[in-house]
Amino acid sequence: MNSLPIPFIVILAILSLAGVGIYCLLATRNMIRVIIGLQLIVKGVAMAFILGGNMTSNISLGQTMALTVIVADTIVAVIGLAFAVQVRHRMGTLDIKELSTLKR
Amino acid sequence: MVYVLVAVSILVFAILAITSKRLLVSAIWLAVTSALSALMFYMLGAVQVAVIELSVGAGLVTVLFVFAINISGEEALNLKPIMPKPLAWGLVAIAAALAIYLIISGGGLSFALGNTTEEAPSILWGGRYMDIILQIALIFSGVLGVLGLLSEGKPEVQKEDEE
Amino acid sequence: MSISLILILLVIGLPWLGALVLRLVSDEHEKAQHILAVVFSALAGAAALFLLKYVSKDTVIKLSAGTVFGDFTFLADGLGVFLTVIATVIGCLAVVFSVDYMHGEHQIGRYYSLVLFFIGAMAGLVLTSNMLLMFFFWEITALCSYALISFNNDDPKAVRGGMKALIITSVGGVGLLLGAMLILLYSSSLDFNTLLANPSILPTGIKALLAFGLLIAAAAKSAQFPFQTWLPDAMEAPSPISALIHAATMVNAGVYLLARFFPAFKDVPYWREAVMVVGVLSALMAAIMALTSNDLKRVLAYSTVSQLGYMVYAIGAGSVFASQFHLFSHSIFKALLFLGAGAVIHSVGTRDMRQMGGVGKKLPLVKWVFIIGSLALAGIPVLNGFWSKEMVLEAGLHAGLNGGLVYYSIMVFVAGLTALYTLRAVWMVFYGEPRSEYHAHPTGLAMKIALIPLAIGAVVSWLLVGRFSLMLGANSLPYHGIEAFGLKELFHEIIALPTLIPLGVIALGILCWVFREKLSGLAKAFNWLRWLAEHSFGFEGINTGIVNATQGAAEGLRVTQTGYLSYNLLAVVGTLVIFFVLLAIGA
Repeated sequence: MNSLPIPFIVILAILSLAGVGIYCLLATRNMIRVIIGLQLIVKGVAMAFILGGNMTSNISLGQTMALTVIVADTIVAVIGLAFAVQVRHRMGTLDIKELSTLKR
Repeated sequence: MVYVLVAVSILVFAILAITSKRLLVSAIWLAVTSALSALMFYMLGAVQVAVIELSVGAGLVTVLFVFAINISGEEALNLKPIMPKPLAWGLVAIAAALAIYLIISGGGLSFALGNTTEEAPSILWGGRYMDIILQIALIFSGVLGVLGLLSEGKPEVQKEDEE
Repeated sequence: MSISLILILLVIGLPWLGALVLRLVSDEHEKAQHILAVVFSALAGAAALFLLKYVSKDTVIKLSAGTVFGDFTFLADGLGVFLTVIATVIGCLAVVFSVDYMHGEHQIGRYYSLVLFFIGAMAGLVLTSNMLLMFFFWEITALCSYALISFNNDDPKAVRGGMKALIITSVGGVGLLLGAMLILLYSSSLDFNTLLANPSILPTGIKALLAFGLLIAAAAKSAQFPFQTWLPDAMEAPSPISALIHAATMVNAGVYLLARFFPAFKDVPYWREAVMVVGVLSALMAAIMALTSNDLKRVLAYSTVSQLGYMVYAIGAGSVFASQFHLFSHSIFKALLFLGAGAVIHSVGTRDMRQMGGVGKKLPLVKWVFIIGSLALAGIPVLNGFWSKEMVLEAGLHAGLNGGLVYYSIMVFVAGLTALYTLRAVWMVFYGEPRSEYHAHPTGLAMKIALIPLAIGAVVSWLLVGRFSLMLGANSLPYHGIEAFGLKELFHEIIALPTLIPLGVIALGILCWVFREKLSGLAKAFNWLRWLAEHSFGFEGINTGIVNATQGAAEGLRVTQTGYLSYNLLAVVGTLVIFFVLLAIGA
């Protein structure tokens, strides 16, 4: 195990985070779980940015992109959770299959 | 060695996060995943990003999740997913395997540990100031979103009576 | 921070801020909505008028947006500022008019925020010199036009009219985007000033493609041949919208495009002829259709198409100045006519002219301002329409292209037709005895306040020709070659022999109406033409076909948009897998 290069291990971590996140988005019906899945994907993406910056010797750029992405995703989580609360309050359900029509 | 440990535990906790039956428990596992990935960021040399990820991902977002889950209540949804689970697993596994294959056959994984505590801010403010402007706009909309989180709204029964 | 920078930001930003604010004010505070809308549009108009002092050819705002799209630039040159002033000032008057017209309607907040959004976007469209930004603002104006035409979205006719307008003007948008991409490819910058300074940057084939593509874009947006059928159907919109968008601003965007790019394309073979043909055909067909229509707003819509045909014809003939001067006069008197028609329709309750008659006794102010507007439209001397139309015809006379005299005579004939249908409309609405039972309630104060400045403008705006030509001159438009043209030159050019020919034809047109009973036998001989005109020469069929095809395709493809996150993500991941497989095989 010690002969595996570090970038490879990090790439495995990224792929696992992104993969689990995408699977969660594909196979869930609860709105809040959707947001959990999004959070997982974005952690993987931020890690990918940092790793990419390191590998192409553009280190600061990678870190600033990762920062930007984390900020954006946090805001998405805030607004998504606000949505979920309001939807639950008005429509009574958090099931995205039932909510998939716009006019109710 | 540490890297392998952290990577494996990220995978384990992420899977735990999405397969828990209760939403609150999922949120806790998400917080643990955030902490572990913050550790990974630190080991890759991005110190500031690690700090922010820890405080925001494991702190702010978790608190919001707990808040929202408590307000909206938990339903024990044991519903069939929209598409069959094996299909989802299969696709993701195939995509990941292909990605790994491409990376291995691409070769040349050169690596340099980051050491740049001084340069990152200047890049942020100098070359990528559009990003900063967009982030400020995003934060404003986040504030509006928090208002949505907290507002009560008009009850529905009264509106139907008016019409 | 120069003053012109602040003013440009105000002119675009204030209406957009107003749109946002009006969205947040709920519909329960109707009075506050009216006041806010008027205040924001008035401030924008004032900013635009201040900007007149700072017209120059220098780039005022330059935002770097990376290496791919170049810089986002805004400049305050004569062509742009003049159209901005028209958009904001007439916008302000239309908003004032709406205070009375839309009194008591539903969803006024949505209405005002769309109008303000439109005004800001129109100002941005003409003040920018980056083609991508121009496309962005162009599409925003198309969106607002659609949303405002189908504002009464419970009325299927209004929705159909809005969809038709959107689809046909989107064809124009595609042409513009194509042009932007071509300019980017060959001159590695999206700023059209690099193209205007040196038209030979583009190889001739590409330049011809660009020239004709932009002609199609302009024709679609300005409802010229062969795209002219969306404008009459857009008359389902409330009258202030028809005045603002479909008479004074958005339809001018096409003419603006042609005027802006004229120095680059004037040497493309057959381009000027094509432009002239488009203008002449639009003017002729629209004038004939106006003669047979019985809906007051449709007559005005056809007359807009016809007058835009004059402007396009002037550009083809080579005189950008004449076309812009006519645009200036036309915006004023056409807005006046639409607002006056709106006042009539609001008080009488119907748009059908056959049911009106004798309205002049009940609404005297509206009658007089409508008459002023119609005199300007018909080209009667002293009013601004006369001077600008004569300049267009003079330019056509000196055009020197193949078939120039044929086009000139057709345009003179159309001038006569213009006088005829205008007089017919005025007569049927305001004079005579009421032909049906209607109840005319008097015009409100806000409507009068909006109508009077426009009427004054229609009478005196031609006196500004000297200032106008200086504004468009070498200081601000270095590549167009427009010389100073004061009142003296105006009199010299117009009060000359060639002017008598159109005047004679106009007089002939007026006489035709006065002696219409005697000529009714002659009119019957042209019944086949009337039938053709009522079916808009077959173009309605083509355009309806296009719209139906587009909507049918969209309905058919709707199955794929289930709205489920899982299916969309499935498509994404599936494509990713296919992509990886292709890469793996390829490597």
